[in-house]
Amino acid sequence: MANYYDLDDIIAEEERVSVVFRKAVNGVGIDASAETDCVEIDSKVELPFWLAHELYLRKVVKLKVPTCFNQKTRLELGADAACVDLRSRCPYFYEFGCKIARLFNSCEPETRVEGRDLGSFLLSAFENRYKEVLAKAHSAAFAAASKCFTLLTKEETTMYEAAQSSMAAFKKWRMGGPRFQKASILGRKRKPTD
Amino acid sequence: MYGRKACQLVKELTTGEKGQLMPFNSDLFDQVIAECGQHYFEIQSLTRKMEEEGLDIETTKNEDHYGSLIHHLSLVRNKRCLMAYLYNRAEILRNLTWKVGPVLPQEIQEKLSHLEEDYFKKHSASLKSYMSKLDLDLAVDMVPPKDPYIQVRVLDDIGDGIVLSDDKTANFAPHSMHFLKRTDAEQFISRGLMEELTG
Repeated sequence: MANYYDLDDIIAEEERVSVVFRKAVNGVGIDASAETDCVEIDSKVELPFWLAHELYLRKVVKLKVPTCFNQKTRLELGADAACVDLRSRCPYFYEFGCKIARLFNSCEPETRVEGRDLGSFLLSAFENRYKEVLAKAHSAAFAAASKCFTLLTKEETTMYEAAQSSMAAFKKWRMGGPRFQKASILGRKRKPTD
Repeated sequence: MYGRKACQLVKELTTGEKGQLMPFNSDLFDQVIAECGQHYFEIQSLTRKMEEEGLDIETTKNEDHYGSLIHHLSLVRNKRCLMAYLYNRAEILRNLTWKVGPVLPQEIQEKLSHLEEDYFKKHSASLKSYMSKLDLDLAVDMVPPKDPYIQVRVLDDIGDGIVLSDDKTANFAPHSMHFLKRTDAEQFISRGLMEELTG
């Protein structure tokens, strides 16, 4: 369980998930297509993850695999992971993926097939992109980097910035003079007292 | 959709630069609280409806039960967002106490809600009393100075008759330059009223 006050965790849980209701629900305005304040059995609704998660645990809804983890994205990531624009698909790709992957293990058969290997898929996607992100952060100039920078998810952006600042610190250490400098006041010659 | 406004509030915190304060969005904050009130009202009316039908509220799992469950979850979610909003702002405020000192500049002061102003005052007061108990100023620069004296220029009107640590008073007229003890100048520099002259 992440920190209760963690902003990124809160925003990651706002990602949408398509669900199918297994129970009828009364008195809520979550189904935009319904005219009354009811949700009927088998209606498809998009819910934020925080709500879908709790309802799923209580067996009120069936989960579907979100579009950002569908077959198309998987194929693209398999072809060339570093070039896929993950930010526009889901800025919290990994965090959201980790949250939802846990749920798929206990899902209905048809969703389980699709969501079964989500964990290992996330890992391989991260590994493949990690190398590229790090290499670019270490070598590229700011202007050239800005293009690939827009493809990164939130977590990768943090990583990219960390890599860049550590590279800058390394360069400073290698080029810079002595780490400890003599306090200038000690360098002054003392006037003879007598 | 439920909880969207609350999430907007949280997103607002992340859009700003890290460690920078945005104006307190009391408008959206109040709207989320009103939404919470609405959820509470819905839960009550659904529960009342079940009671009127003579059902056992604890065991019945009908559509009204799931309706009030969704309202309950949304309420809890809104609470988390509101708490996170306040908590993270309070954290920035606590950091400001160390960086800027007990008096905030006007442009930051305007961004706080009344409660936050109060919190800031109390927090810096308790820090001050802690430091005076220790008899140690913990807020000074962590890097040891090369020279105990520095050359500064006054940027803003500070006023005259300020007593320095060597019991002399100085007249800090705007744009005047002074050669001061570092410890005296530090508090003015951190508040942006003076700048250090180098070279």
